[in-house]
Amino acid sequence: MVVMRDPVIQVEGLRCSYGDFEAVRGVDFEVARGELFGLLGTNGAGKTTTLEAVEGLRRTSGGVVRVLGSDPVADRKAIRPRIGIMLQDSGFPADLTVAEMVAFWRETSTRTSDADAAIEALDLGHRRDVRIKQLSGGERRRLDLLLATLGGPEVLFLDEPTTGLDPESRLRVWDVVRGLLANGTTIVLTTHYLEEAEALAERIAIMHRGRIAVAGRVADVLARQPARIGFDVPAGFDVGVLPMLSGDVVHEPSGRVEVRTAELQRDLGDLLDWARADGRVLTGLRANHASLDDVFHAVRADGKAVTR
Amino acid sequence: MILALSRTEWTLLLRNKTAASLALGMPLLIGALLVANGSSDWTFTITLQLVMMLGFTVYMTVTTSLVARRQDLYLKRLRTGEASDPVVITGLLVPTTLLGLAQAVVLLGVTTFAGAPLPDRPLMLVLAVVGGAAMCCAIGVATTGFTSTPELAQITTAPFFFALLGGAIWPLVADSVDLRMLLVPGGPLAVLVKAAWGGPTDHVGPAAVALAAWVAIGCGLAVRLFRWEPRA
Repeated sequence: MVVMRDPVIQVEGLRCSYGDFEAVRGVDFEVARGELFGLLGTNGAGKTTTLEAVEGLRRTSGGVVRVLGSDPVADRKAIRPRIGIMLQDSGFPADLTVAEMVAFWRETSTRTSDADAAIEALDLGHRRDVRIKQLSGGERRRLDLLLATLGGPEVLFLDEPTTGLDPESRLRVWDVVRGLLANGTTIVLTTHYLEEAEALAERIAIMHRGRIAVAGRVADVLARQPARIGFDVPAGFDVGVLPMLSGDVVHEPSGRVEVRTAELQRDLGDLLDWARADGRVLTGLRANHASLDDVFHAVRADGKAVTR
Repeated sequence: MILALSRTEWTLLLRNKTAASLALGMPLLIGALLVANGSSDWTFTITLQLVMMLGFTVYMTVTTSLVARRQDLYLKRLRTGEASDPVVITGLLVPTTLLGLAQAVVLLGVTTFAGAPLPDRPLMLVLAVVGGAAMCCAIGVATTGFTSTPELAQITTAPFFFALLGGAIWPLVADSVDLRMLLVPGGPLAVLVKAAWGGPTDHVGPAAVALAAWVAIGCGLAVRLFRWEPRA
């Protein structure tokens, strides 16, 4: 693991159990000041448990957690004023209005903040005097984010911040997150939307069954997975006529050839040269680098793979 | 911080009509009926008023509202903020407790106006009211541990509520106080109220100890049983 200059969060050998079930089985990661670290994983992989342990909401059964240099449970009083937490599911008193909830949350915080500006920033201005029980799911989630970010915490934890949001609301949340990053906020985000991690995260870790299966910079993690080339072929096509490619060639029953290759440029070049020489048109041709989807599926398919 | 929590809790209490009518209306209604009925035994009336206040306004409201806040995942949210766990709980308990104390004052005022004498030993009365409120808060928090929904609170609060009521009536109707009566939660309260209005004081010491013990038991159970999140 790369030793960081200024780690804001350090997690070593973290373990958490629910009774006999060990949900987190030895997780290590560090988050540097000002970066966005994405924690991804299959459902039940232990993302939320890990996050709640780092936030100091859950007792651990092993390992060390440091947030801003301190223990989040023992030094809660010192740490809490400096962090913001958006849980995956937490509720509101249904009978308060948006403005009342924000005002109340400001009073319980030692950070100074501008309630009206915060309400406007998350597009809740027209809903400020509406009771929370009348808000839509997306509006509640934005209010959730508003409270977590109120007063500009140094470290922000976002547990699936855009789950259940429509695309427009999601982009708005992304804008808010990017704005916080630009201001130097350190962010840990869990998500099961891979495009969200690709859009926002510098580094990611993918959890599977309580452990980190893959971790690193997004580009590096993607580079470890083979790229794909695909095109349609007529019925009765014999893949034997294709030129020698470095990647694996699969002729799918749907009448499509898929090539998985670590040498995208070379294989694509060879393929195009062959097609031109042969006078063929490759319909439905696609060539792309691995996506996080591919990494995700690889992790799922090979649960034991531990790539560090 | 406690003030902000309490003010919000007070707002929520008033905006929930069922909870508000239970906490505000019930003890006053029953208290007024007791007075309207007329009484030759003012100690009996006052003890029952006090027990109604403690049972409905403090005990049942504490349990019901904490369970409702937990079910709404609002308690979970409060834990993500800067307030410590004891501050959160205290903040949520303050409004109901103050409401109960205010009702005690109102009921005593009405009862006095209706002809009841003033207490000879007001300190005993204060001890009963404050000790009783502390006991009901603590047991109320503990009761949330085996109450999964606010609706269920009507059932889960019944045993302690009746122990409070029955325990208070027992020393009032018995010829003499014996120590068993002090073991039931309402018993010490009745003994203290009796003593406040000129009754015998020989059991005041044990009653105070018994009340303190109930507060301690309640706190112990509360710490053990209280949960911040609904069971998954």
